[in-house]
Amino acid sequence: MSQVLEGIVVVDLSREYWASLAAALLGDFGARVIRVEDLSTVARDPGRDGIYPVDALGSEARLIHRNKESVALALADDAGRDLLGQLVSCADVLLTDAAPASLKAWGLSDEDLLTARPEFIYAVGSLAGPEGPASTQPPLDELAAARSGVMYSLPEPGQPPVNAGAGQMYTSVMLALGIVTALHHRHETGEGQRVDASLLGGHMYASTLTLDAYMAMREDRLGEPRRRFDAANPMSGISYPSQDGRWVTLTMPDTDRWWPAFSKIVGLNEDDERFDTHEKRCGDARLAMMEVLEGIFATRPAAEWRASFDAQNLSADIIERYDYPAVDPNARKNRYVIELDDPKLGKIKSLGFPIHMSDTPAQLHRPAPAVGEDSEAILKTLLGLTAEEVGELVGRSTVGIPGSVS
Amino acid sequence: MAKPLEGIRVLDATVWFQGPVCAQYLADMGAEVIHVERPVTGDQARGVRSIAAVPVADWNQYFLAVNRNKKSIAVDLKKDEGRELLHRLVEKSDVFLWNQGLESLPGLGLDYETLSAINPKLIYATNSGYGTAGAVHKPSFDMTVQALTGIMARLGEPGEPPIYLGLGAGDAYGGLMGALGILLALYHRDRTGRGQAIDASLYGAQLFLAAPTLQPYLATGEAVYSLQQSRSKTRNPLWNRYRAQDTWLALCAENSDEAWQVLLGCIGAPGLGEDARFASSAGRRENSEALVAELDALFASRSAADWVEALVAGGLPAAPIEAYRGVAADEHAWANGYFSRVHCDELGEEVAIRGLPVGLGRSPGSVETLGPELGQDTELLLFDVLGLDWDRIGELKELGVIP
Repeated sequence: MSQVLEGIVVVDLSREYWASLAAALLGDFGARVIRVEDLSTVARDPGRDGIYPVDALGSEARLIHRNKESVALALADDAGRDLLGQLVSCADVLLTDAAPASLKAWGLSDEDLLTARPEFIYAVGSLAGPEGPASTQPPLDELAAARSGVMYSLPEPGQPPVNAGAGQMYTSVMLALGIVTALHHRHETGEGQRVDASLLGGHMYASTLTLDAYMAMREDRLGEPRRRFDAANPMSGISYPSQDGRWVTLTMPDTDRWWPAFSKIVGLNEDDERFDTHEKRCGDARLAMMEVLEGIFATRPAAEWRASFDAQNLSADIIERYDYPAVDPNARKNRYVIELDDPKLGKIKSLGFPIHMSDTPAQLHRPAPAVGEDSEAILKTLLGLTAEEVGELVGRSTVGIPGSVS
Repeated sequence: MAKPLEGIRVLDATVWFQGPVCAQYLADMGAEVIHVERPVTGDQARGVRSIAAVPVADWNQYFLAVNRNKKSIAVDLKKDEGRELLHRLVEKSDVFLWNQGLESLPGLGLDYETLSAINPKLIYATNSGYGTAGAVHKPSFDMTVQALTGIMARLGEPGEPPIYLGLGAGDAYGGLMGALGILLALYHRDRTGRGQAIDASLYGAQLFLAAPTLQPYLATGEAVYSLQQSRSKTRNPLWNRYRAQDTWLALCAENSDEAWQVLLGCIGAPGLGEDARFASSAGRRENSEALVAELDALFASRSAADWVEALVAGGLPAAPIEAYRGVAADEHAWANGYFSRVHCDELGEEVAIRGLPVGLGRSPGSVETLGPELGQDTELLLFDVLGLDWDRIGELKELGVIP
């Protein structure tokens, strides 16, 4: 077997970025992922939040829909819903971020499916989980970020809250992880089950250390916006501007271990009585040391600082922009960044695979499909429809194929 | 109800956070996870209080919450006898997990070739810093690796310092990726009987964490995806953060005429509706600075909760931007098990910690115990798993291999 999930069929009935990406992760490891696009609703606009221009090269789809086949169905029609039901009955896993009411309307309630097929895996991504007060809010990353405490805590005091977008990326992996855990359980016991992951859970996982500290101490200060110099340690969890306007950042929490080499690099005397013990550095001299370091880091450009850090193997680096990983040979060697041959665009870079497996590595089987690209093939081969039947369904706009859908 | 990973034994030879949080998932889901630690000091995270890097309560929540549901064995891997103990444990285990620098593995006799020869069905998992293929071996703490990926540099208003995503935000992602890799490898072993090596590095995970903006940057090379963006200069002022009277709120509406009309109705601003600059989606996009200023002034007049109630009633997605106090009281967070209550020996009472990341309907995980005392299970594991007798255990203690 060349890939872990070979032979596993996943129906991807998702709308949001993070949920679609969870299905792509399964495809990367060999699952057959059939993405169902609902022709009855307007497709999600990737630029709807207005923060960045929509990437004209369509790179988003290249990531979140890679390794998938695409079937387009009008789910407002009885015939479209019937086809969806038939597809799901051919699958091992349904992965969806649709609201419970929609799933019910499509004939895909968890109760019905799991009763009819106890071995089925029914995976749902949601805003805040299946339990608790019902909500009509859509599963949007910002809404969960706002509730989680993290968005509030990230900026400097007086600045607008910041959504780093980490929560939805966590949720993608959690949903995929839950599904593979359920597959293992099914292999052992024969039983399938419902799997849940939510954006709220994702944001909470992303802020585990701060959240656990808050829950242990219940002190509001732990989640308040912090100034740079509020850091508890002048050599850890802090950044300083360099001469050329870039930033260097330090994480040397156990300062005693690093101080001999670090003091040399920044031109301080190792025996400097102001800073010569960890207790002084993180105690009474904390602020004074930060001010001294602020002055010192401003005297040399960032690249020189990095050379010094690297020479001494310090835990310190430059705050880079994306141009760094884009050309970093190590990112390429590890396939974190890959280069694709696009028939229209030629060589184009994309994110690759964050998990390395020695015997069953992630693979790119096929690029993201056009909407409905596989409608005909799947209806014929998987559901046994004739060419005439498919043609009729396309004619009635129950099924979409490239050219018939916008 | 049986947990999904019951019967799986994991040797968790990791320190600090990325590796321990990876093994935490396996422990939560029922695996027998043995935290392998150095005698005397143990996992460095036990000493986190002294280094002033993270806030620590009376009980060390940093170590105890992350290492919940685990056992602890203390063994000196630098001694031949310690290595032999570990090799014998490997023979009886399903997963070996390491995050302490790949370069030290061969010298310790813990490289993949050695361990997979002992147990060909072993899942050999690493949470490295920068991947296994590039031979980059510099230190890899959460923030310095976050810095390298570019994800920090694009956060915050233009001109403000770059923003750290929060303590351990990248570490936990690497840990979660590691758990996914391990589960994939286990499932592969279920079906083929074969083990393998997996790696999820901090750098690789954090590059993936940046996907929504890094992916378009990689394709287009356009600087905009890597730079700080002002909340006033946006293509959609209806999808933004606004400061209400007491705190901020997040509004997530599309820039459509329909949403605009609903918004006007919700916030009761007839004057704004007559302003020709904002009458079309293109107008709202092009005049975003003016519109954001108008909306800032309007939202400042009532509380975030009031506004959100009105907005949601009108069908516009919105939420107050809460501090941690809010999530600590969030009904969904408790109802869905995102918090767990567990007994804390130090305090003699229950404490609340972050709960389970994934819900499973028929075989859910659970949080049973906080993290172990250093080496608390050493003798029992040597008896039960390896079948050693008291004499041998006494010898190992005398040699300083175990405490």
